[in-house]
Amino acid sequence: MCGDLELSQVKLKNIEKRTYMSYHQDGLIDIFIGIYILAFASGILLKTFLKLNTWFIFPAILPALLVPVWISAKKQITVPRIGYVKFKAAGANKMTAIFVGTMVAGVAMFFIFAFASTQSWALALRETIVANGMLFIGAGALLVTSLFGFTIGLKRLYGYGLLAMIFFAAAHFIAFPFEVILVIVGATIICCGFVLLYRFTKKYPVSQGE
Amino acid sequence: MAKESSDIKNIDRLIHEPNRLMIMAQLYVVESADFLFLQNQLQMTPGNLSSHLRKLEDAGYVEIVKEFIDKKPHTALELTGEGQRAFKNYKENLKQVLDDLPK
Repeated sequence: MCGDLELSQVKLKNIEKRTYMSYHQDGLIDIFIGIYILAFASGILLKTFLKLNTWFIFPAILPALLVPVWISAKKQITVPRIGYVKFKAAGANKMTAIFVGTMVAGVAMFFIFAFASTQSWALALRETIVANGMLFIGAGALLVTSLFGFTIGLKRLYGYGLLAMIFFAAAHFIAFPFEVILVIVGATIICCGFVLLYRFTKKYPVSQGE
Repeated sequence: MAKESSDIKNIDRLIHEPNRLMIMAQLYVVESADFLFLQNQLQMTPGNLSSHLRKLEDAGYVEIVKEFIDKKPHTALELTGEGQRAFKNYKENLKQVLDDLPK
């Protein structure tokens, strides 16, 4: 009986991860993550050079603009080449949980900084974060990208997290401007995305018919 | 021995064929997928894939759903409730048979 062979092939988790990976091998997710990081850096640069206090609106509203463009790019570039797949709600729920978790952590930090400053423990925590800001941001980036990478099976996201961690840790020790680090990380991720997109379009030419 | 042979008889032969097993496993982990996606994922020729899909559709395991995405006609494939049950049973039965084998 060839059951051993078949059972080893039917590792459903692996099939699920391989499906996610093949859907994101086009590099579009990388390009959009990179654009978002660059937009964040641009927001900070606007604040620095043009003294715009509403700079945070730019990166805040950008996801609302980028997501429809990303969906449209998927339909125009990915689907005609590798076909269409609709994932189960469970996978999307995991992604949402990580996204919401990240947002909650961000809001918690905001409260620590803004409202809990009268508490001694909050003051101590705030001082520690301010003193090691770059290290905290780097570790946060590594954690969030690793969680997303693990959930959707995209190992290169670990690499991006590690890259961000290395740059932010270096900036902590050599006092490099935060926005410049963001530009370097964002531009590197965009370049990786375009290389992946080029390879994807060469590997999968547009299929004729459905 | 009699139990083992009855377990083996419970294995769904329609799913047990390697290509159909991979089609069922692929559709089990997603909501739905189209023909091109399955062909790319499973590295099967259109003729081969279409012939196995027809058998699975005839058995009521796979459903072909015609829908419109952005006003364009689109054919999606998904496991039916019966197909999901059959695949779960197949996995459990095969695991049982292999677990019962002497080490």
